[in-house]
Amino acid sequence: MTTRAEFLDRIRAQVRRAPGRFQAASARRPRHAAAEAEAIRRELAERWPETLEAFRREFEGVAGVFHRVASVDMVPAVVDGIVRERQARELVTWHPTALGADLAPALGARGLDVHSMPAAEPAGSAERERLRTIAARADLGLTGVDLAIAETGTLVLVSGVGRPRSTSLLPPCHVAVFDRTALVESLRQVGVLLEAWHGDGRAPAGGASINFITGPSRTADIELTLTRGVHGPKEVHAIFVEQPIRG
Amino acid sequence: MSDAELATPFRQRAGGAMKDAFLQEALTIATTKFIGLRREAFASFPEGEALRDQARAIKEATLQRLDQHLETLISNVERLGGHVHYAETSAEARSIIVDIAKRTGARLAVKSKSMATEEIHLNEALEAAGVTPVETDLGEYIIQLAHERPSHIIAPAIHKTKGQVAELFTRELKRPAEPDPEALTLIARGELREKFLQADLGISGANFAVAETGTVVLVTNEGNGRMVTSLPRVHVAVMGVEKVVPSFTDLMVFLAILAKSATGQKLSVYTSMVQGPRRAGELEGPDEFHLVLLDGGRIAQIDGPLREALSCLRCGACLNVCPVYRQIGGHAYGYTYPGPIGILLTAMLEGTPAVRDLAHASSLCGACADACPVRIDIPRMLIELRREVDDRKIAPWPERVAFKLLAGLLRRPWLYRLAARAGRIAQKPFTRGGRIGRLPLVFGEWTRTRDLPPVAPRTFQERWATDRDLRA
Repeated sequence: MTTRAEFLDRIRAQVRRAPGRFQAASARRPRHAAAEAEAIRRELAERWPETLEAFRREFEGVAGVFHRVASVDMVPAVVDGIVRERQARELVTWHPTALGADLAPALGARGLDVHSMPAAEPAGSAERERLRTIAARADLGLTGVDLAIAETGTLVLVSGVGRPRSTSLLPPCHVAVFDRTALVESLRQVGVLLEAWHGDGRAPAGGASINFITGPSRTADIELTLTRGVHGPKEVHAIFVEQPIRG
Repeated sequence: MSDAELATPFRQRAGGAMKDAFLQEALTIATTKFIGLRREAFASFPEGEALRDQARAIKEATLQRLDQHLETLISNVERLGGHVHYAETSAEARSIIVDIAKRTGARLAVKSKSMATEEIHLNEALEAAGVTPVETDLGEYIIQLAHERPSHIIAPAIHKTKGQVAELFTRELKRPAEPDPEALTLIARGELREKFLQADLGISGANFAVAETGTVVLVTNEGNGRMVTSLPRVHVAVMGVEKVVPSFTDLMVFLAILAKSATGQKLSVYTSMVQGPRRAGELEGPDEFHLVLLDGGRIAQIDGPLREALSCLRCGACLNVCPVYRQIGGHAYGYTYPGPIGILLTAMLEGTPAVRDLAHASSLCGACADACPVRIDIPRMLIELRREVDDRKIAPWPERVAFKLLAGLLRRPWLYRLAARAGRIAQKPFTRGGRIGRLPLVFGEWTRTRDLPPVAPRTFQERWATDRDLRA
């Protein structure tokens, strides 16, 4: 068994011996990531309509379906429409605290079978298993969005309490709800935000997984024929809410 | 590839591939499509060229302090509750993973696409230990059912027709399957969904690992990477030591060019960043997270002639543009990593003698270096490998003798002139239509696959000596 010390010693010896190929530096990290992240947010607050338009274009370019509503109480009607179109009725959703709004009553009133994910750690593995079975069975998963990247049409979701990874993964249809506060322009800006979350800034959630989602699951492994929904969702919808969701 | 297959000389393997009409067509269609997609992606991305330069600089800078970045990565993974293991060889990596499987009582392992686990031949070891490994990338799943190896880094089953896949599914899954990609994909989804939900162990590679935050990054289009890292109770990630990048800021530079180079997408569908096991309050995520750091010949190249190949992102762009790969496909190379970069990686992992023939499976046209997102000078290292093959006298003896004689001629002008005159006479019986198409004896090896231009009626040297207009 190679130990950590032996392994690193061999690398160290090689590194010491090797002349660098050329003078090189890694990317310059933001010195005060939280402050820079805040500056980006402020700038974007001014020009969010252009950013949203760019996001919509890219998101549709990767086969996402874009919706726009005035306020969060109009979201259930859109979700209802998507569910009915699929002739389905069962959906799982992030917990209201993670979503920023409690949509379960309105969705339930429309005759949908809604399972809200818990805001506390499930007691025991049996309960964990039960919730996973529900997510695997559901026709639709409803989540929030932590970042929406205009450059690539990407939704960024951070896992955590009340926001399980499976909601955006196991159901064949994923619906994500977001507002202007999630919009960013570029991957470069995302880099600053990620640095801030891990440094002196505040992360949107405390889970161990950050997922970038750029359209529906796809493969071209059989004769290069593009096929959607191989493992993850076949459909991804993004609902933009004009009035910021958390007021 | 099995040892028996490797016993077949490279030329024969390549020759076989070139007679396979379907393979030829599939290769042309796939590689041409990938080239076009890549070109379009960069054409509409003006900052791409500068980012490629930056990506290369980051890789070089990281290598210059690789020990420190790995120490940072290790301490952060451990801080997050993960375990780090160290494997000098493939055998050691296999035994680490088999031990984890045994200790946790795993029976079923789901795997997301990983060249590193292909490289260490993990599946055979798991099977021997009573653990069933299931490849979950559709292409990898197909070739696992067919008991084959990948033929392309990012499109492992491009050598198979939909008809062949349908037959394979019908036979192996015992259910009728139509030769329709959509229907076949749906069948695979159903089969693999059950495996994801049942599996005890998830095994993945790593496209990158971010040292500053202890994050393992997986890039997939299908979503299997997310399944493998979220659903089973144990997750093992296997990565070559060179995959570490310092920070998230660096990571973004690579993400901006990786998918564009591979498939022409701006980003792949899923980029999953995993930071240790499940945290308090989380519904999903593994109880245990293990990171296996793999040497396998990489460390010796930090100060070795193949150092630059440690920057490879495994995007497959150099395969698509390579005139040799486009003719022979991935299997003919005989090892885990095909194509121009594959020759270098094979030399790195298996030693120079393994590439005695492969080192010549390149026209040195330079298309690979142009396509490489981090601008690895592949042709330069191929030439160095050829020289090493020669220095270590592992080339066939007729080749060594022929080139030694040629070197002697080139160093002695008088002998060279004499040889030209002798050649003009000797070549007469072999010259047809201004070309020498076939030579006798060992020289026949040269003309077997190419023509030789005959010595000119008057060589340049002879003209230079007499023709005044040439000098004016």
